Amino acid sequence: MNVMIKNKLGFALVLLFAAANTFAAKPGPAAKKATADPLLPVAGLTVIDMPYDVGGTALLKWDVRPSDTPDVTYQVYVSSLETGGWIKAEEFPADTRTGKDIDLPFWAWDTSVKEHAVKVELNNYYGEAQSTGSLFHFKVAAVRGRNTAESEVVSVVTLSNWFRLDRMNNLVLLLILIVAFFWAVSHAKRKGLFIRRIAGLDAIDEAIGRATEMGKPIYYMTGIGSMSQISTIASAFILGEVSKKVAQYDSQIKVPHYDPIVMTVCKEVVKQSYMEAGRPDSYRDDINFFVSQDQFSYAASVDGMISREKPAACFFMGYFMAESLLLAEVGATSGAIQIAGTDVEHQLPFFFTACDYTLMGEELYAAGAYLSKEPMLMSALKVQDLGKLIVMVSVLFGIIFVGVGAWRHWDPFVQVILNMFKAY
Amino acid sequence: MKLIKKQIPLAIVFVFGVLTLISYYIPHKKSVDFMEMMNKWENIVAAFAFFLGLISLFYSHYSKIARKVDGWGYSLFVYIGFLAMVVPAIYCHGKQMDAAGKTALGWSFSFIYNPLSATMFAILAFYIVSTAYRSFRIKSLQAFVLFVAAFILILGKVPLGQIIWTSVLGWTGAGVDQVIDWIMSYPAVAGKRGIMIGIAIGAVVTSFKIIFGIERQYMGKD
Amino acid sequence: MLKEKLQKFFKLDRRWIFLLLAIVLFAPIIKPIGLPNKTISRDVQNAYSYMDTLAPGSFVLFSLDYDPSTRPELQPQAIAMIRHAFQKNLRVGVVTYIAGATGLIQQAFEKVPKEYNKVYGKDYVIFPYMANAVAVLTQMSSDFYGIYDKDQDGTDARTLPVMQGIKNYKNMALVVNITGTSMLDIWVAYVGDKYKVPVIGGVTAISQPGYGPYLQTGQLKGLIGGMKGAAEYESLIKQPGKGTSGIDSLNLAHLLVLALILTSNIILLIIKYL
Repeated sequence: MNVMIKNKLGFALVLLFAAANTFAAKPGPAAKKATADPLLPVAGLTVIDMPYDVGGTALLKWDVRPSDTPDVTYQVYVSSLETGGWIKAEEFPADTRTGKDIDLPFWAWDTSVKEHAVKVELNNYYGEAQSTGSLFHFKVAAVRGRNTAESEVVSVVTLSNWFRLDRMNNLVLLLILIVAFFWAVSHAKRKGLFIRRIAGLDAIDEAIGRATEMGKPIYYMTGIGSMSQISTIASAFILGEVSKKVAQYDSQIKVPHYDPIVMTVCKEVVKQSYMEAGRPDSYRDDINFFVSQDQFSYAASVDGMISREKPAACFFMGYFMAESLLLAEVGATSGAIQIAGTDVEHQLPFFFTACDYTLMGEELYAAGAYLSKEPMLMSALKVQDLGKLIVMVSVLFGIIFVGVGAWRHWDPFVQVILNMFKAY
Repeated sequence: MKLIKKQIPLAIVFVFGVLTLISYYIPHKKSVDFMEMMNKWENIVAAFAFFLGLISLFYSHYSKIARKVDGWGYSLFVYIGFLAMVVPAIYCHGKQMDAAGKTALGWSFSFIYNPLSATMFAILAFYIVSTAYRSFRIKSLQAFVLFVAAFILILGKVPLGQIIWTSVLGWTGAGVDQVIDWIMSYPAVAGKRGIMIGIAIGAVVTSFKIIFGIERQYMGKD
Repeated sequence: MLKEKLQKFFKLDRRWIFLLLAIVLFAPIIKPIGLPNKTISRDVQNAYSYMDTLAPGSFVLFSLDYDPSTRPELQPQAIAMIRHAFQKNLRVGVVTYIAGATGLIQQAFEKVPKEYNKVYGKDYVIFPYMANAVAVLTQMSSDFYGIYDKDQDGTDARTLPVMQGIKNYKNMALVVNITGTSMLDIWVAYVGDKYKVPVIGGVTAISQPGYGPYLQTGQLKGLIGGMKGAAEYESLIKQPGKGTSGIDSLNLAHLLVLALILTSNIILLIIKYL
């Protein structure tokens, strides 16, 4: 396994150049000559456990030979028995399936075209339970016409691995962001952090004030997402701030729900806000209520309530699908001030046209920090900006490097850059 | 009290958040099994929560009927609709078809649920048209760009529009399909990707805030 | 004077617009005009060509995940693609992850297989609804029967002739997912990318633009969008159906939207500059 895992970028680069050269230098005449040769069995066949996987996959490797022409076929056989019991697992033309066909990045895999590399997924032939941890035997047959030459038998026990080295790029990025996050949070200052004005959030006060004046309720929709979705969590944060203000102004709020778990969480949030505002007596348990877990039943029911009660303000914060316009349009015609926020980008246009203010994507996530003005939350926004900076710089340099690489035909270099930015 | 309401929940969030995060880097069977178990637990919790939802629904509509508030008649339909689907489902063991054709559940599905659901979605078309009329105004340069793009897109979506395009703008040599393809593959995708990347980063940071217990409003403050 | 009149036009009761749209939609359904369905979009053509080149006897898995709300757009797509599969003598398996879809699948398969003399169990099979799609999709990658050991009638799935030689995604030639939800993203991310299974999608017109990136990268082999997509597919298989008959309404409704947007903007211009 150590042979193929190469962490050193330099070495991998050299190897890649070497590989590219070999590939380019593969001459035609030699291949022609080879067809006349007798069919030789594969020598130097090795088998290892496929690295970085859950198990149940073996990896066979053997050298590419000059006689590997399209008229030769390789057949890979697998067996779980000491003798016999061979099952044909793979069959492919001899000039295909080399190291570069395995989709792994350069730091975790030697993408050499000098070796054949074949993954055999054992759970296709044996049970899920048997395919990891048991001993399996393999052999490779080279076939041309009626001639067959079989290699010697090799064996391996497949394992469940503990680390995905191929996701190293992702891990590095994660660690950078975590470090930046803790730095930002621990250096949180009470003053001096600039946050761009978000008109939609500034309008919340106005909306609640209007509701108080008119003596009409405020409707707050948390969308049709489940509690595990970030947008729903963000929506719960905002609901906390909104209901605190509602409690202070002694106005009325109603929160119809699509998901019972979200409802339970929101009950806690609203109750807490009323307590913080010093109005626990005004809190009622039916502020949050469940409507339906069917998208359009939910929309129909809430539409009915809005058009009957004519609320002073409607908030749509969270995850929305086709019901976005169904709700927002009814709200708009009933004359309510409407503030929406979602991270579902294809519903944004509907909210833009039917609502007074719309928070897009990350503005929704930032809203909790913006409204609460808590220094720790505010400084976490810096990390968001750092992330964006990393993406912008990467995109810029990525374009330049790949562009220049492609223009100068530095294929291995381009490959390295592409590997670094790919999710495995 | 603070221990039960604050520290223990935060510890649970932290431990399971970190475990879920690192399971992305651990391909081992144990980590796969762990994730599967978490999914199952979530389903079980959701099933119980559904009962809570049902109780809340019935209770709020019951109180509306009892107090005879405005539109209390609609609340009756909550019970009628519920029974119209649930009773046949239990009676027919959840089967919509049997040897004799449609069962009672099949009938409820085809003639109650089907039309009601389709009606709601169909209303969307009416709302889109009326919103387009009311809100699609060219008030700025950006709005003008949006207007031009939308106009071409709507035109190209239907055969009649394509014919109009060819007869009016055919001389330019560019088919409406090509123009739409270009709009959808370059400016639209670029914009979408930009928003998606911003959302993804926002989601990462929000997750940190929750895992590390910095943002905890969702469990009530103190 | 004129301005005031025009201002009033802006505050038009929206129910007039609703009425106008209703007329535009209903009239052609009652009395078809027969407007031509001229072009075939690239993504529909790709979907058709992909299915068309599959060898007879290949297994195609249809994941039909839409409920009655999106039925007018998606059912014609599903029927057109199933017809095509039967024309090409492909084997068809049907799964769903939306409970509301079961009735619609039933309706589609009451009719279509008979047109091609296809027999249940031999040429096609329908599996019961399953919850928790992501878990099911992942499980199917190793053993299809680990999840679907029985078909919708409770027959042992392994014994059905149509399932001969099918063990997991490796044995399937194509996955077709027709949906009004985000199921297509799940199919692409959890199956198409991971197990290298070709995926073709069918979605509502409203969500169609969102799949541009997947088409660009080849993660989707083709995409059918809305009723127009269905009509195009129907014209490719030369079997006009519900999609084609809706095209007149679609044409006029789109033009109505354009006319309304234009009118409101012209009025705006007049008010502003005259």
